[in-house]
Amino acid sequence: MTLKLTRLIKENKGGFIGTLLLFFLMVMTFYALFFVSTQSRLQWNDPIHWSDNPKTAAPEWFNVILKPFGHQLPEHKIFYQKDATVNSINETDFKLENNTFSYQFDFNEFPPAFDIPYEITLGEIPPILEVYVKRPDNLEFKIYSNSLESVSSSQNNGDNAVDNNNNNSTTPTLIDSNTVLGRVFSSSSDVRNSLAEYGGIFKFPISGLSAEKIIFSKTDSNTPLKGKYEFIFSVYSFDSDTVLKNLQLVIQGKVYGLLGTDELRRDVFFGILIGTPVALFIGITVALSSSFIGLFYGLYSGYTGKKAGTFMLTVIDIFISLPTFIIFIIISIHFGRNLLFLIGLFILFGWPGVALLNRTFSIQIKNYPYIEASKLMGESDFKIVLRHIVPQLLPFTLANFALSVPIAILGESALSFLGFGDPSFPTWGQMLQEAHASSAETLGYWWWIVSPGLMISVTSIAFILIGRSLENLVKIGKRR
Amino acid sequence: MKVFLFFLLKKIIILFIVLFITLFMTIFLLGSTMDKIMMDQVRLQAINSFSGAALENPKLQQLKTNEERQKLIDQQIKIQSQSLGLDEPWYSPKKLFNSIYKIITLNLGNSRFFTTYYGSNSVNDLILEKLPNTILLFTSSSITIILIGLFFGTYLASKEGSIPEKFISGLAATSRGVPDWWFSMIMIVIFSFFLHVFPSRATPLSSPNEPGYIIDLLYHMTLPFITLVIIGFSPFVYYVKYIVLRILDEDFIKTLKIMGIPQKNILYIHALKNAGPQLSTILGLGITASLSGSLLVEQIFDWPGMGNLFYNAITQNDSPLIIGLSYISVLIYLLTRLILDICFTFFDPRIKSGET
Repeated sequence: MTLKLTRLIKENKGGFIGTLLLFFLMVMTFYALFFVSTQSRLQWNDPIHWSDNPKTAAPEWFNVILKPFGHQLPEHKIFYQKDATVNSINETDFKLENNTFSYQFDFNEFPPAFDIPYEITLGEIPPILEVYVKRPDNLEFKIYSNSLESVSSSQNNGDNAVDNNNNNSTTPTLIDSNTVLGRVFSSSSDVRNSLAEYGGIFKFPISGLSAEKIIFSKTDSNTPLKGKYEFIFSVYSFDSDTVLKNLQLVIQGKVYGLLGTDELRRDVFFGILIGTPVALFIGITVALSSSFIGLFYGLYSGYTGKKAGTFMLTVIDIFISLPTFIIFIIISIHFGRNLLFLIGLFILFGWPGVALLNRTFSIQIKNYPYIEASKLMGESDFKIVLRHIVPQLLPFTLANFALSVPIAILGESALSFLGFGDPSFPTWGQMLQEAHASSAETLGYWWWIVSPGLMISVTSIAFILIGRSLENLVKIGKRR
Repeated sequence: MKVFLFFLLKKIIILFIVLFITLFMTIFLLGSTMDKIMMDQVRLQAINSFSGAALENPKLQQLKTNEERQKLIDQQIKIQSQSLGLDEPWYSPKKLFNSIYKIITLNLGNSRFFTTYYGSNSVNDLILEKLPNTILLFTSSSITIILIGLFFGTYLASKEGSIPEKFISGLAATSRGVPDWWFSMIMIVIFSFFLHVFPSRATPLSSPNEPGYIIDLLYHMTLPFITLVIIGFSPFVYYVKYIVLRILDEDFIKTLKIMGIPQKNILYIHALKNAGPQLSTILGLGITASLSGSLLVEQIFDWPGMGNLFYNAITQNDSPLIIGLSYISVLIYLLTRLILDICFTFFDPRIKSGET
């Protein structure tokens, strides 16, 4: 038994590789279906969900490749409130609370940005916030300060402030009657203005530079200064009700995760993962239906012959001559952006090729002597087709099925790339469309392009390899 | 010969049916938006001509109230739209016939957003400007692919089972599964971003009337050309090999071998000649497939061809341009198929003698 199996694998290397690839895809599909909730899948298009991730970061393992070249990209680092050392000073009329994060920085490049999200429950008197950075060379910069008075005074019109926390303003906003949500961005004008005061320390003009390129820079030249940095977030509170919550320090990196992130800070690996079941679903549904329709259409038109058969052949001819892609585009402009609609479209234009093949075969089989014999024995046409012709055609149909899966997958990705994809089902084609729209290929965000395209190719190749070796098996079986 | 003519007639009839189906579909799906655009144009024209006339004609200036003025403009719009047939819906038979007639006679109207280099916004001019670029890129790459395929495919047919032959078979399976537009993006990342060999945008920087334009165009064409050849050559090599292999099995080749004719001559003269009919079908399928695939590849390289224009027309929802472009591309597609079918029948003795 094992000997037979090894021989089968040896004779069909392509089919074996295809099966392995398919197994890998199945594992991804099962993981995506059973371990990723619908809710987190829907968060793909929600930019706030991804706000703690770095923008267009390369995969983490890219640093391993860069190591021999003596170059390291800054890693993404998130500190939570529990990581901070808290130091409280109680005075008579106020309380100072210092939250200190210490960050070890040893990279050859500046981090692209940092931000500090926080949440404060207000008491009667609004507190004062200050952010300091202590550098390895013992310089200390005050980069941000805000007395939350303006926020608490604007309590009445608090409803317009809800969706404000994702654009690049550091202005804290009220989320309910006494909670303030804020985020200090390194790119904000507040931070840049407070850094402008330290211009004298540096031996180069800092006016045009962004905040992280000043804070992490050596004083004599604009190159990164390695060492231990301390970020101090201080709260001056004037009553006991003021509580600081959910404080974080996010140092944006240039490497993140298994496959990096895209322009909207989304994890590319997550997109790949949730795209797998969709791609397989499209491919398999389309292939299954079109080979099923093709089988019976071809059978009927081949077996009956005569005028109906000729007419059915002409219909196939017309369908085959249609310039499918252009028609897809024109129809999609009008109805598009729906997954089920796309699948229907692919089925509509997918079956004629299969039907033509099945027709040719059924004409061949029809003229075999044993069919004529069973006709003479008085078997009904229906029975003959079902018992003698369909079993002969099934292996071919199986091969056809495998070979039409990649056509559907490639077609879907091409249409998604044109912007006709269903936005509620993120697919690999849509990821590539977004990459192209942000001109990822000219900016060199290779991780954003390589992985979705590679997945499309792997899926198609798996089915092509399986289909080909099935075809060979059928042919060999015939010869014997 | 009679059978041949009958075959040809059938093909041409199918061609016309297909052309009408696509045309009908396009008008059916884009007709209402087209009418809206026309109506807007008429309205704008009426307002403009009224304000122009008001300057010259003092009588018109006496119409002080806005209502009176509006009434006059509305009247103008009504007359205009009636003369253009806009008062009827797009699906009325008269209008349907009219728009089909207009498209068939290549009266494709004006684009809403795009102009040629010389400033014309007629769809005909736009297509005429872009078509030569598409033909240049795709015929040159197709010819290269065909030459490589014929030479290597026939060569590999004599080396069945060798490592290069297996490699090509694997490569053919692989490159059929790789989307060519994605491969183009990868090529840009490699050759333009990392190696800085070629520009990432294939639109030439100099204008068409400068003397160095052709050289500039060819330089910008190199990367798309290489990409198309790499992605396209291996399936074709594989097919040629497959067909030639089947012919090498036939008796007349064995006879030629016994007669002492050199292997090279057998391969490249006798086998290839007999593979002609089958090759031309596959070639036809390949060329027509590459025509529709050109849309995305051109857009990614920003090659100034029809596909790129089509993509931009879609994203800007420029209906007149979309209708014109789909008509012209369908026409090119069908004509290519027809010519190839004729060649195929001409080569294939079975059809001429009426065996099928």
